[in-house]
Amino acid sequence: MGFLDVLTGRRKLAGPAPDRLFAISTAYVTFETTLQITTRGSAAIVFQPLATADFEGIVREMEEVVKATAGESGTKVDSSDDSYGFRWLILRGPEFDDLVVGINAVSSALEAGGYGERVLCSVFAFEDARKRPLYWIYNYKRGAFYPFVPATGEQQRENERELVLKAQVGSELPIEPELERWFPLWGIPI
Amino acid sequence: MLLTLFLLGLVYAVLVAVLIASGVGGITIAVIAGALFLVQYFTSDKIALYSMGAHEVTPQQAPKLHTAIDRLCIQANLPKPRVAIAQTPMPNAFAIGRSPRTATVCATTGLLDLLDPGELEAVLAHELTHVQNRDVLVMTIASFFASIAAFIVQMGFWFGGAFGGDNDEDGPGVIVVILVSAVVYVISFVLLQALSRYREFAADRGSAIITGRPSALITALMKISGNIQQIPQRDLRAASNELAAFYIFPPKAKQAFATLFATHPPLQARIAALQRLEAQLQGTA
Repeated sequence: MGFLDVLTGRRKLAGPAPDRLFAISTAYVTFETTLQITTRGSAAIVFQPLATADFEGIVREMEEVVKATAGESGTKVDSSDDSYGFRWLILRGPEFDDLVVGINAVSSALEAGGYGERVLCSVFAFEDARKRPLYWIYNYKRGAFYPFVPATGEQQRENERELVLKAQVGSELPIEPELERWFPLWGIPI
Repeated sequence: MLLTLFLLGLVYAVLVAVLIASGVGGITIAVIAGALFLVQYFTSDKIALYSMGAHEVTPQQAPKLHTAIDRLCIQANLPKPRVAIAQTPMPNAFAIGRSPRTATVCATTGLLDLLDPGELEAVLAHELTHVQNRDVLVMTIASFFASIAAFIVQMGFWFGGAFGGDNDEDGPGVIVVILVSAVVYVISFVLLQALSRYREFAADRGSAIITGRPSALITALMKISGNIQQIPQRDLRAASNELAAFYIFPPKAKQAFATLFATHPPLQARIAALQRLEAQLQGTA
């Protein structure tokens, strides 16, 4: 934020941080081989849809592009709106790398259209050796990942396992250093 | 750590030197010191338990707490301490007793309600490490001279008038002794806090070694402190609507002065140290 913006009280939304999304593709090798954490075949990108013709056009176009490329790799595309007013574009497919590429295609399209700051996060669904679900969330504004492990019970999370995951992954992923920004996503549809 | 101990020793030496130079009889010093030391040594644990409103519990009264401590003692190869519970909603735990044999580990009912079993074990292991490291003994001895100094300052205030100025010929005088004692007390107080903070880190480390779960201690500490450093429960989408550009969390102020007078290290520093331990445990550090 510039000095003039402070004076005038005008602030801009933070745009996306430098893209480190693909770090999860390389980290996934470690997930699979040493941590026995495997993909549940789904990933999603979460963004705030604007009710403008321009934006709707971009989203439609983007969904078609992803569907077209998805057809070759066997990835399926789905979208849903949640109660917070965010849209989830959900990709499902057996190949983890394809999911990451697909997610990146969506965020790039939104950014190219000038809507980069509308993108909130992307979510990758995994399960551990004992089939318990866990998520890695990528925050675009921060350019960093953090783990999210929902627990049984309403809006409960397992902080201990999240911290262990952070330590296990180590330097393989750019991890959000401030724990108070490890915001959960309740009711993840993937 | 070594520097702290050295500085403490230095301060005490200066105090004794000044006391002797001021002409107070050696026997008087010894009697005062000895009495204070004995009182501190033998009553501190009872006073601590009493002031917390804690009472000892049997395995029948608190089976879960006893089982947890039994397990940890086997793991840490320690004799089992006495177990006490304090009826207060404030989550806390402490260990008292001069040696592992006479130690008591006390948890509050607030702590038992707040933590899940893994976290409770991590906190109890932290307290057992205090027992193992004989931290009560170390701190009692370390604070011994500070207590003498405090005692003399108080005596000086009470009887300052009575001493008068008529013993100027045989030493620095009462006022000087009081002043020096005051300085000794302040300095040793700060150094004691530093020593205590160091031993807290050591106990955190010991807990991680006993339980093998440093992350459980992190979440326990976050729960006990109940402050903003917690991993949030608030949804990212709800948060992002309000704080898209900047966040409501205040920047972390550097509270160097407050830290100087704290017996426990700042939560952030303890969490960071435990995260490094977890990384070592996972082989990624």
